[in-house]
Amino acid sequence: MNFSFDVIWHNLPYMLAAARWTLLISVGGMAISLVWGVFLCAARISRGPFLSRIAALYISFFRGVPLLVQLLIFYYMLPHVGLDLPAVAAAILAVGMCSAAYTAEILRGALQTIPRGQTEAALALGIPTLSLWRRILVPQAIRIGLPSLTNELILLVKVSSLASVVGIGELTRISQNITGETYRPLEIYVAAAAIYFLINVILSALGRLAENRLLVG
Amino acid sequence: MGDITTEQPIIEIRNLSKHFDDFEALRDITLDVHRSEVLCLIGPSGSGKSTLLRCINFLEAYDGGEVRLEGELIGWKSAGAPPRKPLSGEALRRQRQHIGMVFQQFNLWPHLTALENVAEALIHVKGLPKAEAMTKARAALAKVNLSDKEANFPANLSGGQQQRVAIARAIAMEPSVMLFDEPTSALDPELVGEVLGVMKQMAAEGMTMVVVTHEMGFAAHVADRVAFLEGGRLVTCAPPADIFGREPDDPRVNAFLKTYRERNVV
Repeated sequence: MNFSFDVIWHNLPYMLAAARWTLLISVGGMAISLVWGVFLCAARISRGPFLSRIAALYISFFRGVPLLVQLLIFYYMLPHVGLDLPAVAAAILAVGMCSAAYTAEILRGALQTIPRGQTEAALALGIPTLSLWRRILVPQAIRIGLPSLTNELILLVKVSSLASVVGIGELTRISQNITGETYRPLEIYVAAAAIYFLINVILSALGRLAENRLLVG
Repeated sequence: MGDITTEQPIIEIRNLSKHFDDFEALRDITLDVHRSEVLCLIGPSGSGKSTLLRCINFLEAYDGGEVRLEGELIGWKSAGAPPRKPLSGEALRRQRQHIGMVFQQFNLWPHLTALENVAEALIHVKGLPKAEAMTKARAALAKVNLSDKEANFPANLSGGQQQRVAIARAIAMEPSVMLFDEPTSALDPELVGEVLGVMKQMAAEGMTMVVVTHEMGFAAHVADRVAFLEGGRLVTCAPPADIFGREPDDPRVNAFLKTYRERNVV
């Protein structure tokens, strides 16, 4: 068979348009993952046994159930609890809340590597708890956890393809549709792979940039 | 010493005790530190000297007895028998501002420069405007002879320089007393001198200092009094001449110092 670049060229505008949905789900998911992940991590390591246990339960659930199943649950559950959100909102929530479980554990692991003495030095100076976290512990945890966080965010871009099952016209779904019309699966999926790859190359470059900026210490 | 004993001691430790589960780390310690005095705590490892030091700023919550700074009970709401309620976080932080501490492992914050390490508490504890905090932090770094290293991160400083930044971080807060927990034990031998030099200078300027140390030379020459601890008890507290003399009163002190004498340290 011959590989036709014409097919790719012809369908590229539709695929790039679909990639916008992929980006929306990814970026929305990342925002939820990072913010909610920080809160989850704080709850997980809090001294309150109740809060800590709830967070541990949350983490083990979202890590233990396939994301595809979570996504379907979110999609079919939201209308039942009175949230009439578009499918893309369900996808962003599902992806973000699942990823947050991993983010929380990455941050928790990073925090554990910070020597206890740094906290003692802050306590001995009378530094308030909030400043201790905001100025000393969290910046270092992010720095230490950054390679793993970049990894997690790249994973998130890839799992956004699961949103195709709830009918969102993101990159994978549109590629399937185009394949159905053109009967050229190889060209179309190679092009889709190239677009995913490009997004993640940019993302990992940003991650490296952040690492370099933070690693001066 | 007769003239200062009439004045109220700056630190008063009364019948202090501390347990870690079943282990009795400190037992019935009573000790005063006077203003501008340098008190060295010596003794074998595990004798409780670091624990005693850490009780003074409540990094360890002592169980029994009292620690007072300028008359004010540290850490607990009331004197008397346990159980007693700890002070609020804010009240404890206010007390700790007056007690500087230097650690064996320096404990600088690696993501901040030397200057930022020193300025951090000035801004976020004392609430100074940034410019004023930087001026004060620079003055503190100058005191430890590190003006040229203010932009360095801890990883780019030698151990001796890191410890001097840690000292600057503590003195910038203008504490009434300074606690040193084996400040030279983690240093290469050739770097010990620069840290002890800064400490000697602080002593000469009248800083009240409590120093846990294995540097017997420093204890012998800089301390006003030396306290010897063993097994969580205070064995003796006396001027260095009495401790380091050929025949100290207590055989336990003699046994401890024997190894140092053999190495001609004292």
